[in-house]
Amino acid sequence: MREGIALSARSISKYFHVPETFQVLKDISFDVKKGEFLSLIGKSGSGKSTLLYLLSTMDTDYTGEIIINGECLTGLSQNKLAAFRNAHIGFVFQFHYLLPEFTALENVMLPALKLGRKSQEEIREDAFTNLKMLGLEAQALKQSNKLSGGQQQRVAIARALINQPAVIMGDEPTGNLDSKNTDIVFDIFRQLAVERGQTIIAVTHDDEFARKSDRILELGDGRLLN
Amino acid sequence: MSRVTNLKISLAHLTSRVKQTMVAILSVTFGISMYIFMNGFMTGVNDTQTDLAFSTLAHIHIYNDLPEDNTNLLQRNFGTDKLVNLRSAKVIQYTEGIKNSAKVIAAIEDNPAVTGITRQVNVNVFFRNGATKLNGILSGIDVKQESALFGTEQYITHGSLSNLEYRGDGVVLGTGLAQKLSLSLDDNVTVTTADGASRNFKIIGIIKTTIAGVDNSKAYVNISSARQLISKNKSYVTDIQVNVKNYNESLEVAAQLAPKVGYKVETWNESNGQLQAGNDLRDIIAIAVSLTILLVAGFGIFNIMNMTVNEKIKEIAILKAMGFDGSDIVQIFLVQSIIIGVVGGFVGIILGYIVSALVSYVPFRVATLDTLPMVYNARDYILAFIFGFITTFLAGYLPAKKASHVDPVEIIRG
Repeated sequence: MREGIALSARSISKYFHVPETFQVLKDISFDVKKGEFLSLIGKSGSGKSTLLYLLSTMDTDYTGEIIINGECLTGLSQNKLAAFRNAHIGFVFQFHYLLPEFTALENVMLPALKLGRKSQEEIREDAFTNLKMLGLEAQALKQSNKLSGGQQQRVAIARALINQPAVIMGDEPTGNLDSKNTDIVFDIFRQLAVERGQTIIAVTHDDEFARKSDRILELGDGRLLN
Repeated sequence: MSRVTNLKISLAHLTSRVKQTMVAILSVTFGISMYIFMNGFMTGVNDTQTDLAFSTLAHIHIYNDLPEDNTNLLQRNFGTDKLVNLRSAKVIQYTEGIKNSAKVIAAIEDNPAVTGITRQVNVNVFFRNGATKLNGILSGIDVKQESALFGTEQYITHGSLSNLEYRGDGVVLGTGLAQKLSLSLDDNVTVTTADGASRNFKIIGIIKTTIAGVDNSKAYVNISSARQLISKNKSYVTDIQVNVKNYNESLEVAAQLAPKVGYKVETWNESNGQLQAGNDLRDIIAIAVSLTILLVAGFGIFNIMNMTVNEKIKEIAILKAMGFDGSDIVQIFLVQSIIIGVVGGFVGIILGYIVSALVSYVPFRVATLDTLPMVYNARDYILAFIFGFITTFLAGYLPAKKASHVDPVEIIRG
């Protein structure tokens, strides 16, 4: 493991077979440093989301190698990958996907409860700290489907942070937020990268969002353009 | 910790759609209560049927079966290691009945499974009153033993059975027989045997067993009077009736008795195959109907759980993205159906008991019954619960398995 590298992609290629065989990613290699805030951009259909889901370990149908935190994840079983995601990767999606029956606090606690490294009280405290950091302490005990879109997205971010993952991945994390909330989310990401040394990889259509990040990777026709 | 979390998610799913959960629980409840009710009822019917049948039928019947014993008399004496050639064997004289009954009875009493023995002298006779002459059976009985074995006493409608014990001239007539002969209590009836012996008896009781064949042709007298009528000695009997602890084990006991007794030993299910067949068929119907109901309940749960999985598919995807693995997802959904099964099972047991109790009050005045028969068997309740549990488990497992195979990428990317 090279020092300071959070994530490495080595010659990643991927094919879609339906409706016909089509190479969506062509021999992509790059490294992401620890604490780096990376934006993945590209036209729609360029394969940027596909790449993100490969990096996220949820999609395992590819050739090449993915190394996160020094651990090669290619070829591991689904259950091992699930455990790895739980401990090392945080997700923020375009649609927040909180569990509607649970409160904001409970939603944030879920990944940590699954990880099971801390007691329930500690996890509750951590979750509350995270929510507070995102300005949601007043919403902590509200049921998640009673929150506004911006609030839900921030809850989702708090949830992504709860296990202090090495890498936080976002699939258009600000995709359906207004500019004010977009700024809030961006600032949180920036802060996490700088203060906690967490690596951020975000797929985005928002040029301004990308421009403000540390580094931009642009995909076109399944290749890295820069 | 992760288990607790999974359980919390399961409960959240269950409580977020109360109506569907209630429907699922009710279908299990219904299936289980029907199972309990059907089995309780059918067992009740079977027991009633068996009780009725055993009002005149003993578990084991020992008598002198004539032709069977006369085929190889020599073999019995010489043993199997000698070759015996016996040609054109014919029965030239046979012994009727059981002459040495005391010895036979001693052998039977040795068997620990035997709970009751009674001796009978059954004679084919003509009952006569004036011009009316009817064919029937005169049964000489030991009153106490007979009553202990068959509960004969309770079927007496007029007069008394116990008086037979000290009244050699008394007779208890079947109700149909009495009617046909136009006789009632305290009248006299003439009994004539095949050998021409004839005697007058005074009617001291009328019996109604509800089995028409018996009521229309049978009469009881004291065993000594019967022996006297056919000029036999004091230990002569024609039939020995034996009851055992568990009538379902009659065959085994009969097999133990046969070599010691030396007469034909016949169990109730050999002589009354239709009884056993009826019992078995009713049991099969009860089980088939109740399992069908449980199966339908199972499909209902399967359906509801499938709907839940489809409804929650995005949540499943996000849980998987967060690191919940396949077994967590199976647990989350399986626990839901198990909770449905257990709650439905307990309510079903209670409802089953209530339905059974209510039905047992429905009037049904046939034969000796006042209300519909019902049996409360702990085994039925336990089995119902187990079957219900298995059904819900299976019905929940398939959708849970399906949920665990959800591909999060496909769902999240849309």
